[in-house]
Amino acid sequence: MAVDITVKIGGEAGQGIQTVGDLLTLVCHKAGLYVMAINDFESRIRGGKSFFQIRISDKPVYAPHHRVNLLVALNQRTYDSYKDELVPGGISMMDVKGEPEENQLPVPINDLAVKAGKKITANTVAAGACLGLLGAPFELFESILKDRFEGKGGDALEMNLSAARLGYDSVKDAKFPWSFTWQFGDPKGSVLNGSKAIALGALAGDCRVAAFYPMSPATGIMVNLSSLSDDFPLFVEQAEDEIAAINMVIGASFAGVRAMTSTSGGGFCLMTEGLGLAGMTETPIVVVNAQRPGPATGLPTRTAQGDLMFVINASQDEFLRFVFAPGTPSEAFEMTERAFHLADKYQVPAIVLTDQTLNDSLYITERPLSAPREIERYVVGDDQIDSPSEYRRYAITSSGISPRALPCSGKALVLVSGNEHSEDGHISEAITDRMNMVDKRNAKTPAMLEEMRPPERYHAESELLLVGWGSSKGPIRESVDRLREDGISAGCVHIADIWPFRADLVQKALSSCKSFFVVEQNSTAQLGRLIREQTGLVAEGSVLKYDGRPFFPDEIVRGIKAYLD
Amino acid sequence: MVTIENYECSYENKWCPGCGNFSILASMKDSFVRLDIPPEKLLIISGIGQAAKTPHFLKCNLFHSLHGRALAIATGAKMANHDLTIVVNSGDGDCYGEGGNHFMNAIRRNVDLTLLVHNNKVYGLTAGQASPTSDMGMVTKVQRHGVVMEPFNSLAVALSLGIGFVARGFSGNEAQLSKLIQAGMKFKGFVLIDILQPCVSFNQINTFGWYKKRVYDLQEEGYTPDDFQKAISLSFQWGDRIPTGIIYRKESPSFTEKIGMVKDGPLVDRKYDHGKLQELLSSL
Repeated sequence: MAVDITVKIGGEAGQGIQTVGDLLTLVCHKAGLYVMAINDFESRIRGGKSFFQIRISDKPVYAPHHRVNLLVALNQRTYDSYKDELVPGGISMMDVKGEPEENQLPVPINDLAVKAGKKITANTVAAGACLGLLGAPFELFESILKDRFEGKGGDALEMNLSAARLGYDSVKDAKFPWSFTWQFGDPKGSVLNGSKAIALGALAGDCRVAAFYPMSPATGIMVNLSSLSDDFPLFVEQAEDEIAAINMVIGASFAGVRAMTSTSGGGFCLMTEGLGLAGMTETPIVVVNAQRPGPATGLPTRTAQGDLMFVINASQDEFLRFVFAPGTPSEAFEMTERAFHLADKYQVPAIVLTDQTLNDSLYITERPLSAPREIERYVVGDDQIDSPSEYRRYAITSSGISPRALPCSGKALVLVSGNEHSEDGHISEAITDRMNMVDKRNAKTPAMLEEMRPPERYHAESELLLVGWGSSKGPIRESVDRLREDGISAGCVHIADIWPFRADLVQKALSSCKSFFVVEQNSTAQLGRLIREQTGLVAEGSVLKYDGRPFFPDEIVRGIKAYLD
Repeated sequence: MVTIENYECSYENKWCPGCGNFSILASMKDSFVRLDIPPEKLLIISGIGQAAKTPHFLKCNLFHSLHGRALAIATGAKMANHDLTIVVNSGDGDCYGEGGNHFMNAIRRNVDLTLLVHNNKVYGLTAGQASPTSDMGMVTKVQRHGVVMEPFNSLAVALSLGIGFVARGFSGNEAQLSKLIQAGMKFKGFVLIDILQPCVSFNQINTFGWYKKRVYDLQEEGYTPDDFQKAISLSFQWGDRIPTGIIYRKESPSFTEKIGMVKDGPLVDRKYDHGKLQELLSSL
């Protein structure tokens, strides 16, 4: 029997929903299953309403499912809010006072926790009961708990094992329609969220300095990087604001190391001044913008794809930049590494555009993560400069790329100015200098375009194509599979290398279809507008979602079918 | 041996004739020569304003950046390479207005650099608006009924944030200013030298003559800058007598020392270790 089960664990912030979710994820991964888990929470540390929703499958999954087989309700409010998401036959496992409803499975989670030793083990009780219902062998859970609690000191391990056993046994007589036999071989790849993937990608890009100001949903990247900074030549600094963060990164890069910052839209607004400085001074930097909905504060802990046009155009006047929008943690790792490499090579800023879904969700990453053998640095020393005493930082070249020396590294004096400048880096208001410098900076365009990879295509010869970018990749692919099951000739195109825009490649990818639809998490179809601007091609329609929650394949299928009916 | 000729630069100067900046520039060059720092070992970072143009008028490595942001850029440069000798040229608007938050936090970090604030108490580059340090009541084309904000007391603010070296110079006393810059550059940690400077074009109140009558040299009067309470009290002295010289000095670990970066050498010189990273990636 094919396995495709969704478990939703809900409760108040601070109740340890994340712990239950993490334990389930680890057990499933160890058993050789695939998982995809989303994290839904409010902008508060205690109370409120949050959930962790994990989809468990024997086939690769890159999207959440909108219907729930098993609801773990850590409070009554969770049951009331989500009981309608249960599939027919689905059950809600919970502490029940009084007579249970038909779809409730009473488990005295808190009493069992107290029996195990401490109320705090309620999460482990709940995880144990979940795994019991799913038919998982207890030994598997036991080994995960040992990995987690062994060496923690005290009686943590013993207490949790006892809690796990009590939870597991409490459901042994219960019937769960989707219980299955757990035999799937070795673990598939590794469990990663986007934040961790980006942090690892930064290391693979030889990032040495990272500066940031805390902002959801980007903070996780820096928490991950910070945890690595004792073992690698890397320094992570919490700046006084986003303006300081990006300027620190520019200063560090100017002085010779690869450097990055990460933020969300509001912080990116503050960074646009610095982005322009990086553009004008041709200083390589990497900026991650993890999108959330809304101008101003918006919905701090939710997801969106509303910043596409913004990051492409951010800061005044015109200058080149790279923009990448990865669809999975695996792509986030690779694109972050590439962003560092390409920023360095072309002396431009590179932006990695993600969102809360990608940053905070757990995915199975099967492709091995590999770091480059060597880091190619595009800097020159005195020995590579004909006459160091006459070195000019912004020397005119046919490629537009001027040899870049580092300050105080030799005889060559490095002069860098955010004012328009002459080749030597001094301020200049001369017409020829202004024209030459704009043309020099723009001269990098053809080579930068060559670096951009073609959109990823899936069932590309279909009559109808769904076009998306960023984290909606997984949901779009799955919706294509479902449309095809219904006999619709559907495929999809995912644009991850966004800017500079390869109009030729996008045109080619869309040339053979009868019609295409853009699928995006904003309210005005920004990618659709960009495609029209760059290629003249007009989307037949769009499936747009901007409620701050991740895309479900079902919503896309329904959106497309509404056009076809 | 570094000589003054090493610092001569043919780039056309863009300041008004008679500007106090010329004296500050001369004192800077004098200090660098006396400290035997060659131009290629010196990095000057500046923001925006008349003061921020300074590094263009001598030979050095320079980053002429954005309004208010010089200290953030300098902090980043230090993270990458703590061996850099960094001087920051800024003005009262650049540093205390637009860059106020960076000013406070660079002091709190104790970033090892020498900050020269050309304080002419007016916005010169934008032609004469009030600055954060303008006296109350000063009339400009914009502040037509006089400035209503209290002037920003950078010395007191810096002291309250735990600065290790704070001094006040006067562009009318080049010899003293050179000594202050030299002492500042020898000092390990964040150094603020607030330099009083007339603006011949836009400040008709705090003129050269006005200052000349009021400034006095603390060190000539035998003051030793080691008492925090006295320093605080001097930072508020203004009016008939204006103190110049080193107001407070106390060394403590610098930013890069505190974060332990110094022990393994500058980040810019460290090697990329593919083996170690691949081991981590493969272990996931």
